[in-house]
Amino acid sequence: MENATYTTLTRQSGLLREIQVLAHNIANLSTTGFRREGLLFSEYMRNLDGEDEPLSMAAANAHQTYLTQGAVTMTGGTLDLAIEGDGFFLIETPQGERLTRAGHFSTDASGEMVTPDGFRLLDLGGAPVFIPADAGPISIARDGTVSAGGQPLAQIGLVQPEDPATLTRASGTLHAASGPVLPVEGGVVLQGFLEESNVNPISEMARMIEVQRAYEAGQKFLDREDERIRSVVQTLGR
Amino acid sequence: MRALQIAATGMSAQQMRVDTVANNLANMSTTAYNARRAEFADLHYQQHTRAGTISAADGTVVPTGVQLGLGARPASVSMQVQQGSLTMTGGDLDLAIEGRGWLEVTLPDGRPAYTRDGGLKRTGEGLIVTSDGYEVAPGITIPTEARQISINAQGEVWAYFVDRVEPERRGQLSLAGFTNERGLEALGSNLFVETEASGPALSSSPGEEGLGTVRQGYLEESSVDPVRELTEMIKAQRGYELNAKVITAADQMLAATTQVR
Repeated sequence: MENATYTTLTRQSGLLREIQVLAHNIANLSTTGFRREGLLFSEYMRNLDGEDEPLSMAAANAHQTYLTQGAVTMTGGTLDLAIEGDGFFLIETPQGERLTRAGHFSTDASGEMVTPDGFRLLDLGGAPVFIPADAGPISIARDGTVSAGGQPLAQIGLVQPEDPATLTRASGTLHAASGPVLPVEGGVVLQGFLEESNVNPISEMARMIEVQRAYEAGQKFLDREDERIRSVVQTLGR
Repeated sequence: MRALQIAATGMSAQQMRVDTVANNLANMSTTAYNARRAEFADLHYQQHTRAGTISAADGTVVPTGVQLGLGARPASVSMQVQQGSLTMTGGDLDLAIEGRGWLEVTLPDGRPAYTRDGGLKRTGEGLIVTSDGYEVAPGITIPTEARQISINAQGEVWAYFVDRVEPERRGQLSLAGFTNERGLEALGSNLFVETEASGPALSSSPGEEGLGTVRQGYLEESSVDPVRELTEMIKAQRGYELNAKVITAADQMLAATTQVR
């Protein structure tokens, strides 16, 4: 008899997770290179004892990272890089290689290009990108070639996971690929620009209102269910 | 209800962005000020369903799982090291550095500090100091009776006297370069000190080792671009409001929960 309540509960807890995802997206509205995430709901069937019709429940059992291009803003920073099109920068962290679209780099004390968290950027050959202190003005070409005074220093590689579905997220706008990564052909690197977060505030807000109302509708339904059971108990108990 | 805390991290991130913009705008006319920019990163992710979890006995794995993020955090507020434009002042001890490099000054406690503010002065004894009275390396003095001071692009200081035709070389200013200028720690008063992240100062004469040259009679302006700061401010304000809306929505959902009997 409580099946209706339990089915609604699965929906409600999924909606609570979804509002968390929306809050996370909106909190990262100005996080450079942030990729919007979404939650996918699916039906979960359960056979009931002695009945032909299985019970259907909702489950949030997959997340998705939307890899659409974010807006590119000019910053003028020498080591600010934005990727136009597909691809990620390859970063070396203590946990292994990570991918990122956040191109706000600087050099560390030894002259290697690093992320704001101090992890090293890797070039096409998998080596750190070294910029000598006396190199003079640095220019980075659209294909990722780093040069100073006409002398090429390194080529920043853009990579992509073979299967985008294997990407998981890590803190610091990093992504981990569980499968192999491949170099990207024709990826464009823009110097002096940063890619903004690809969160679209309007769609997030619209979805938030939708989630909120769906949640309230669910609560209303639970309320009615409660009243119904109450009246059944009262009627039968008389 | 984690949405409340997550939206709060977003609000504090936007708050920090406004703080950075406010500081940049306040320093619009500060000599040789470099605009700062706040950068953010996402926080830790909670693993609800781990990707790669086996979902059936035949070895089927969950391809993506459910990872719920916990908001945003500030990643860095760093200087945009940029050459500001030069304005002519005509002052004989006003110096602008064209290109990379920092003037080295000695703090009262003996530590070296670095500045790009070339509005230099003279003490009663003729020592070249910054506006705050800190000695500029290598400690050049100009005699009181000097008629005119000339500083060339390489930082050589020449003094002219009334009774002599030949100028006298009083010394040469040195510049310091850093591997990572963004790693310098700001002390205020346009002064910076080296840190583990900036690497050690590499002192040299102006114009050598990739360092810039010195221009007498000019000062470097602040590199703050008011248009960019204003657009940043608008974005930060709207971002703040959006996060506040999330808090309202989460609050109303909580209210709906408590109303169920």
